[in-house]
Amino acid sequence: MSYREKENLVNIFSGLLITGVYAWMVYQRQLAGQIDLTVNYNKWGEILLIFMGISIVARIIIYIIFHIINAIATQGEDIPKEDERDKLVKLKSTRNSHYVFSGGFVLGILALAIGMPIYWIFVAFVVSGLLSEIVDNTSQIYYYRKGL
Amino acid sequence: MGKNIIRNNIRKLRFNQGEMTQQQLADEVGVSRQTIVAIEKEKYSPSLELAFRIARVFDRRLEEVFWYRNGDQTK
Repeated sequence: MSYREKENLVNIFSGLLITGVYAWMVYQRQLAGQIDLTVNYNKWGEILLIFMGISIVARIIIYIIFHIINAIATQGEDIPKEDERDKLVKLKSTRNSHYVFSGGFVLGILALAIGMPIYWIFVAFVVSGLLSEIVDNTSQIYYYRKGL
Repeated sequence: MGKNIIRNNIRKLRFNQGEMTQQQLADEVGVSRQTIVAIEKEKYSPSLELAFRIARVFDRRLEEVFWYRNGDQTK
C-alpha cells in the first residue's frame, strides 16, 4: 500500500473517530438535559465551532502518530513529494466531495420544506460534512488504485 | 466508442538505458515513483510537459515514447 493510500485511510478513520466520539459526547449532554439542541439553535453554532477546533487538534496528533509509525514501518523511507498526478487525484476527489456536501445541504433544505424540525438542517450539515470527507478520501484511494 | 489511452514504452526504454530504475526516472523528471508506475501501467496519462521531460531523459522524440491509441483500434 502506498503512502498516499495509507494517509487517506488514516483520514477516513480519524474523521469517523473524532466525529463519532464528539457526537456521542454531545448526545449524552442532550440526554442529560444539559443542552436542548432541538430548540436552542445558537448552541449548534457553538458546538460546531468547538468541533472544528477539536477536529484540527486531534488530526494533528493523529498525523504525528501516523508519521512516526509509518517511519518505523518503512524504515525512514522518504515521503513522496506531491506531483501533477497527486494534484489531479485531489482535484477530482474534491469535486466528488463537493457533490456529496451539496447534496446533503439540499436534503437539509428539503427536510425543512416538508415540515421537519429546524435542527435537521444542522444534522444534515454534520452528516454531509462527514460523508463528503469519506467520499473525498475514498475517491483518492480509488483514483490511485484504478487510475485516472 | 472505446476508451482512448496513451500508450508508452517507458519500461523498454528504461531497460535499454542500463536498467534505469523507476525511482531514478522519477527523480530525473521530478515526480514520485508511484506516478512513473502509473504511467507505465497506463493508468495515468502524463501532462504534455511531463511527457516531454520523460522523452528528453531517453533522448527520444515524444512520439517514440508515447503514442495515442483509440480503444476501438485493435493495434
